Amino acid sequence: MKDFANEPILELRRAPIRAQLAGALEAHDARPAVRVPVWIGDERREGSDLVSTDPGTPDRVVAEAAAAIPDEVEAALALAAGRGVSTWSATKPERRAEILVAAAAWLRERRLEIAALEVREAAKPWPEADGDVCEAIDFLEYYARGALALAAGASLLQVPGERNELHYVPRGVVAVISPWNFPVAIPLGMVAAGLATGNAVLLKPAEQTPGCAALLVQALRESGVPPEALALLPGEGDVGAALVKDPRVHTIAFTGSNQVGLEIVRTAAEVPDGQRHLKRVVAEMGGKNAVLVDSDADLDEVVPGLVASAFIFAGQKCSAASRVLCHEAIHDGLVERLAGAVETLRVGQAERLDTDVPPVIEQEAQERVARYAEEAQRSGRIAAQAHDVPGAGWFATPTLAADLPEDSPVLTEEIFGPLLAVERVRDMADACDRLDASPFALTAGLYARNPDTVDYVVDRAPVGNLYVNRAITGAMVARQPFGGNRLSGTGTKAGGPGYLLQFVEPRVVTENTMRHGLVV
Amino acid sequence: MVDERALEEELYSVGERLAAAMPTPSRNPFKLADEKAMELASQDGELKAALFRFVDVVPACRSLDDLARHLTGFLGEVEAPTPPISAAMRMGNNRAGRTALGAAAARGVKHMAHRFIVGESPREALGVFKDLWKDGVASSVDLLGEATVTQAEAQRYAERCDEALETLVTAMAGWPERPGLERDRFGSLPRANLSVKVTAITPLMRADAPERGQRDAAERLRGLLRRAHELGAHLHIDMESLDSRDAVLELILALLAEEEFRTGPSAGVVLQAYLRDSPQTLDTIVEWIGAAGAGRTTPLTVRLVKGAYWDHEVVEAAQHGWKPPVFEVKAESDINFEQLTQRLVDHRADGCGLRPAIASHNLRSVAHAIAYNRLAGGDDADIELQILRGLGDALQEAVAAQGLRVRAYCPVGDLVAGMAYLVRRLLENTSNDSFLNDQASGVPLEQLLAPPATA
Repeated sequence: MKDFANEPILELRRAPIRAQLAGALEAHDARPAVRVPVWIGDERREGSDLVSTDPGTPDRVVAEAAAAIPDEVEAALALAAGRGVSTWSATKPERRAEILVAAAAWLRERRLEIAALEVREAAKPWPEADGDVCEAIDFLEYYARGALALAAGASLLQVPGERNELHYVPRGVVAVISPWNFPVAIPLGMVAAGLATGNAVLLKPAEQTPGCAALLVQALRESGVPPEALALLPGEGDVGAALVKDPRVHTIAFTGSNQVGLEIVRTAAEVPDGQRHLKRVVAEMGGKNAVLVDSDADLDEVVPGLVASAFIFAGQKCSAASRVLCHEAIHDGLVERLAGAVETLRVGQAERLDTDVPPVIEQEAQERVARYAEEAQRSGRIAAQAHDVPGAGWFATPTLAADLPEDSPVLTEEIFGPLLAVERVRDMADACDRLDASPFALTAGLYARNPDTVDYVVDRAPVGNLYVNRAITGAMVARQPFGGNRLSGTGTKAGGPGYLLQFVEPRVVTENTMRHGLVV
Repeated sequence: MVDERALEEELYSVGERLAAAMPTPSRNPFKLADEKAMELASQDGELKAALFRFVDVVPACRSLDDLARHLTGFLGEVEAPTPPISAAMRMGNNRAGRTALGAAAARGVKHMAHRFIVGESPREALGVFKDLWKDGVASSVDLLGEATVTQAEAQRYAERCDEALETLVTAMAGWPERPGLERDRFGSLPRANLSVKVTAITPLMRADAPERGQRDAAERLRGLLRRAHELGAHLHIDMESLDSRDAVLELILALLAEEEFRTGPSAGVVLQAYLRDSPQTLDTIVEWIGAAGAGRTTPLTVRLVKGAYWDHEVVEAAQHGWKPPVFEVKAESDINFEQLTQRLVDHRADGCGLRPAIASHNLRSVAHAIAYNRLAGGDDADIELQILRGLGDALQEAVAAQGLRVRAYCPVGDLVAGMAYLVRRLLENTSNDSFLNDQASGVPLEQLLAPPATA
């Protein structure tokens, strides 16, 4: 296999490339709503229990899904734990890798079609939707290579008279519970990691984006993943809960909210009768991501970097910035420029390239953002808001808040929307103290030019991903392995070198090679 | 068709005369120290990085102590410190030492900045422009500014441009006549010449969605065109990175074709020869002067440059997995520069007319333009040479001494706004691949004037 390289994103700065997008969306809109089945082995049952709609135009139906009922969850588990594990784990690692690479090609051929679906189902603006498809391709290509490397085992110290070998075997059944915000890349990344290492996988996708989930399962199935090794179980929280609880599940890969993540960790720690293993949880959860700005920062870089980090995709990335810890010497200047920049943001439909901020995913999210904005207004100050926010659709107003008390929930709780709050700090030591006080540790940013300051913050920031002098979103597979520490996650790094180890069990074999003084 | 051998011969003799007319460094004793510092930096990549990062952060430092801490912070990353670096590091150990070090460093940077930036405001720089004019050099003023991220900043920048036009036109009206700088085959050339960046007059320019930024910039740009027209000044639209190239060109060509601007002002665009698709960009321009712009009564000036965002373009392309939009081998850029020069000269009589302005501090590129223009039947006055203030001062002097039409591109602004510009110029000046470096290191004239070869 060729060395891994990231899938190039579309060069949308060129007009002929931009011109392809409208056609792709038109073609999407001309097709009927996606029918998402409960898909177990060769059985597909369609239904309309879950309906996903365009967040920008809530009466536009994008996909209709059947929700898995308990009997189906049971059937899926039985098949995965039985034939799924036995056939897929016995498939040669090379063949499994080939299948993943074929799935990457499948996605590559349908790039715009898939991105168009994301534009509609998750209100992902085109560049973000395209980025998501590219990341999905990257996960397949990267884990395919990683699994091959893992299959070669690890080298151990050898002394005369004994042979030591370390190899990895699949753990068994992986349950994947995925979010809506990267509706193809994140579920596909977790599913691909499980499959690449020889596990049978059950996917319970977010109820907001079943259409995207159906597509990625189709990609893998059509590329050669056997039906018994991968099931799609659309549904609400009860389906996920049933999977997490079941003694046949070995690994749970989850990306989503803190509350659900902690519940999964608790449940998975139980060992019910008949379960002969410990469950392993790979969890990527919430954050409260801050960007530190020192007095020597270049505001020409800081302002666009913060706007991108906080408002692209309406702040609905786990990595998005929601706090700015700014040195007091430049605080007022930064707030003034940032306020002016926020006022230029155009809120609009995801399909429009000139939209800066699309709608949020659902009404509940819209209401949540509004609640935090009210709280900011009450206990601090709204420094700026974007104008002309459309009425229909789940649009939230991009907001910049300042002068909040240190214990304000706006500064401590995850909002997951387009709201950024600036705090005044004495220096970077003060900023690090505040960062350290947070139970979250996913991403953080630092704008500073003195190398000594950079070293200091690198040393103290507890986060999983620290970005220096750049925006804090947009982690790339193999370049920025992604994942949080503390209550933000289990410290596992998606798209990084150690990730696949979560999906395997190591076995060491030591053989005595000496018999009657003869070394064989 | 110009014969290639004849062209090389004429080019060589032009180049030889220009080289002979260049002032030798000994006549410019004050410049030596600067050039020494740059020479040191070009030889040591780490030192260069440390010094340039320092220059970049100077305006953001809050005190002399803060300055010194930054300087020692950067120098501390140089792996094999030379004695002067170690001495600076020792000074950084105590407060008094840091104050002295900070003050010395600030002076150094200010001195270097003044080489490239002529003053804090157009008014303050008028003396420099007048001296240049006396020496046979016209000027184009570039107002340095911070990035424009808000509407208020865009508005303020447009107002600065407006004021600059007024200041320049008023002051320059009283200057003595300089026929060699004021006329070409098409007629008179405005004395006041302002270069404007479109991204400075709108905060909305997005590479993926140019239309909104274009609409926003159009309003302010129309205002500036109107003002330049009233005052009889030239307005030149600068180019930046590829991210905005198409949007900027499309916008200015559309505005200049509007009925209101049919009779003026004199205006210009930029063509960047390091871009692989620059020949197609020139197709667009040539088509415009013959069609949409044909009704204009003033020719379009096209400034041909190599391009100043090479590193940015290469890095951005590499990070996204795109093919670099620029030539990666310098000689390919140089060859393209010459081909574009020839096409500009060849098309000057089309439609509303085209005024070539060849902007380079490369002796071969400049000599080539002069020679080709002559062999193609042009008068020397029909071609303008442009040189960046601080980068090609010796060549500028030589070109002016030969009675050729030359214009210095002069950035004006305060230190804060000027640093990004300064670092780009310093990078260019210390690049091992650059003509300036070859020239400084004593490469023989035959080699400096040899046709660019792609090894």
